[in-house]
Amino acid sequence: MRRSVLIGGQAGQGVAKAAEVLGKILVRLGYYVFNYRDYPSLIRGGHNFNVVTFSRQRVFSHDERNYEVIVALDQRTVETHRDEASDKTAFIVPSSVKAPNTMSIDVASAFKQGIPPIAMNVILLGALARYLGVPKQVAKSVVKRELKGDFNLKAFEYGYENGENGKRKVGKVPKKGLYFLTGNEAIGLGAIASGIDMYIAYPMTPATPVLHFLAAHKDKYNYTVLQMENEIAVINAALGASYAGAMTMVGTSGGGFALMAEAMSLQGMSEVPLVVYLAQRTGPSTGVPTYTAQADLLFALHVGHGEFPRVVVAPGDPAEAFRYTIEAFYLAYRYRVLSIILGDKHLGESHFTMEEGEFTPTVKPERFLVFPEGDYKSYEITDDGVSPRSVPGAISSPVRATSYEHDEYGITTEEPEMITKMMEKRLRKADTLEEAVLELEPLTVYGDPAAERVIVSWGSTKGAILDALAKLPDWKFVKINYLKPFPRSLFLNEVEEAKRVVIVETSSTGQIGKVISMETGFITEDKVLRYDARPFTPEYILRRLRW
Amino acid sequence: MVKIDPKTLNTYAENTWCPGCGNFGILTAAKNAIARLVEEGYPLNKFTLVSGIGCHAKIYDYLNINGFYSIHGRVLPTAIGIKLSNPDLIVIGFGGDGDTYAEGTAHFIHAARYNADITMVVHNNQVFALTTGQATPTSERGYRGKSTPDGKWDEPMNPILLALTAGATFVARAYAYDVKRLTDIIVEAVKHRGFSFVDVIQPCVTFHNVAPYVKERMYYLDEAGHDPSDFEAALRRAREWNYNLDPDAKIPMGIFYKVEKQTMEEGYDRKVPYYRVERNVDWRKVIAEKRVV
Ligand SMILES: Cc1ncc(C[n+]2csc(CCOP(=O)(O)OP(=O)(O)O)c2C)c(N)n1
Ligand code: SF4
Ligand SMILES: [Mg+2]
Repeated sequence: MRRSVLIGGQAGQGVAKAAEVLGKILVRLGYYVFNYRDYPSLIRGGHNFNVVTFSRQRVFSHDERNYEVIVALDQRTVETHRDEASDKTAFIVPSSVKAPNTMSIDVASAFKQGIPPIAMNVILLGALARYLGVPKQVAKSVVKRELKGDFNLKAFEYGYENGENGKRKVGKVPKKGLYFLTGNEAIGLGAIASGIDMYIAYPMTPATPVLHFLAAHKDKYNYTVLQMENEIAVINAALGASYAGAMTMVGTSGGGFALMAEAMSLQGMSEVPLVVYLAQRTGPSTGVPTYTAQADLLFALHVGHGEFPRVVVAPGDPAEAFRYTIEAFYLAYRYRVLSIILGDKHLGESHFTMEEGEFTPTVKPERFLVFPEGDYKSYEITDDGVSPRSVPGAISSPVRATSYEHDEYGITTEEPEMITKMMEKRLRKADTLEEAVLELEPLTVYGDPAAERVIVSWGSTKGAILDALAKLPDWKFVKINYLKPFPRSLFLNEVEEAKRVVIVETSSTGQIGKVISMETGFITEDKVLRYDARPFTPEYILRRLRW
Repeated sequence: MVKIDPKTLNTYAENTWCPGCGNFGILTAAKNAIARLVEEGYPLNKFTLVSGIGCHAKIYDYLNINGFYSIHGRVLPTAIGIKLSNPDLIVIGFGGDGDTYAEGTAHFIHAARYNADITMVVHNNQVFALTTGQATPTSERGYRGKSTPDGKWDEPMNPILLALTAGATFVARAYAYDVKRLTDIIVEAVKHRGFSFVDVIQPCVTFHNVAPYVKERMYYLDEAGHDPSDFEAALRRAREWNYNLDPDAKIPMGIFYKVEKQTMEEGYDRKVPYYRVERNVDWRKVIAEKRVV
């Protein structure tokens, strides 16, 4: 049984934190939890809300209506979400807020007892925990760990004591090996697990949490986090750092990614390894900065002038984000290519519950360096197109990187023979890369492999599709993990016999359809798209599939 | 003591600068400076140059040391990335005036602030040379290029003044044809601990030949009793020439200002080259950060 709670209020009232703590409490009780975060681009005021969806079965998505409980820290939350409530929805509110079906908590008395008003979120969290029937000790131990300050524990206690019991108790099922994290945290941890030396960035939602996360962990794992004057500085510094031997990653969103475009092409020519995290948000331009989209797929696939190999990998949940970040590092450094991790706000800022066995890195990133004693060719022409990489200062010979076409030593050339050789070296490298990616898992099929109805998608739509698939017995879901190199024949195998092939994408044009036709010649015009800046829910997909 | 012949710093690349170009002076001075520094104990294989894009940037092909031929305007962030990745490297940037003062202005101002221990040599020919002679921010008012047939109407930028006010800890100007002095200044710049900036007046014989103008008006600051630790004096000297070609200007050469400050590498506590760091991270322990039960 899937159950959902909405917690809403103004920015600055601690809505997101309350939802995260609730999520952790429920995971402690053996539940699977998904926590969706919805917030506008402002610091104080406005309307923020989270939807915490939980179940004894796996859950990877949230709901948009029929919440069991709405916790409203302000009146606006009630007005905004009234239509999404059912007759059974209970409202938990402070005494100042008016709502139907209300359980009102006298927060004024709490404040008189010395609980500070900023802890109102925790008071209501206490009342919510009581309503859901959460064992008090379990909840308190999570609150103690997650929220600093004794007043928070007091606030929770106050809410719990002054709340009322609901009809159903959540209870506890002992479980082991459950993880609760966001896609951005998983990308940060994936970078750490890859042995990152330098993370360089300029703040931009929704990539900023990775900057913050990695900055918070840098001393524990001994790497450098650097914020520079703009994204152009960021990516060029990253290429300099990587050339000199550091395992380096940058992170940004669409606008910053656009500024980095020229240097991505420099990556292609210089073959200096680089990992880029592109966290998509709703465009075009500044668009809807704190909301989600998958509309930069074609941009990521084509960014940078000229032709050069690259990796574009799209995780669908934090376990994949962890794994694919490690693979992105591995591929970038092993094959001297650009690895783009293509995520978005929905993956980056939602909390997912993952099981231990789902973290399955298959490769081990290294620097992949050589230290020859004598002569060294920075761009040696090899059969697999990959030139052994060294770093400046580590050997006696010069080590070169260049934006110009070059000979094997990295000296500039304009000779047609050498240009052809170098182009073909990079083409061979693209082939080598493609073979390597086939050894990973470029495509995953969920549901009945023999089903003749197929949903095709990629990235953060995974959660809503998987949850919808549970109600679609004669469908399967083909998820493309590697958009570049594209798993052409694996894909065709899955769709050639199909009766219906539907694309699901958070965009207005269905870019994955264009990618598929470009890569494989397969064409489908059957699309379920969403472009109101909100992520899919299972219900939305089911409704649109059965129109 | 290691002695090297500056000629061993040559490469097999064909030199394509115009005969008489000021860039030859900078190339010779760079080789002399490196040879001298190597004699003093700086390891040759730690020298790493970064160039932009333009005539100046071809120096990458002509110097047989580590090098990153980066893109137009991006010498400084590239150099800073290299230095933070491996603080043992001796990083020297060679940029153009278009490169550094137009395309990469923001990086220039911030590099002065960050104070990474790198050297930035700007081949300032006051023109976009490789794109055949358009005006740059340092071209004099009235400069007639193909994009400014009526003469450039705006005032030039004064990079010395800009570097000083942005917080650069070593600010110098040199003249490309005075190879001896230029060599000394590059050596000083490399030895300076922090961001060293050298604006080299580099006559472009094809599009902007200021050699006769400069030669008549230049003088050396040390000979004029300038104290490079005096910031106010440095500002006054910097204002003596605004890069216009006024007949009565005086052009100070040499070190305007020099001061010791915390470097960027110190700020980020960077000591060991990252390529030598063995991490052996256990991914299971890392992901365990987010385990709830
Ligand atoms: C992003 C970008 N814009 C424009 C160019 C074209 N371009 C090549 S060299 C150059 C001017 C170089 O001027 P400067 O930096 O002063 O070097 P110089 O040729 O004078 O040595 C320009 C604009 C480029 N390579 N990249
Ligand atoms: S165009 Fe000017 S700067 Fe370029 S090589 Fe010729 S003289 Fe030198
Ligand atoms: Mg120039």
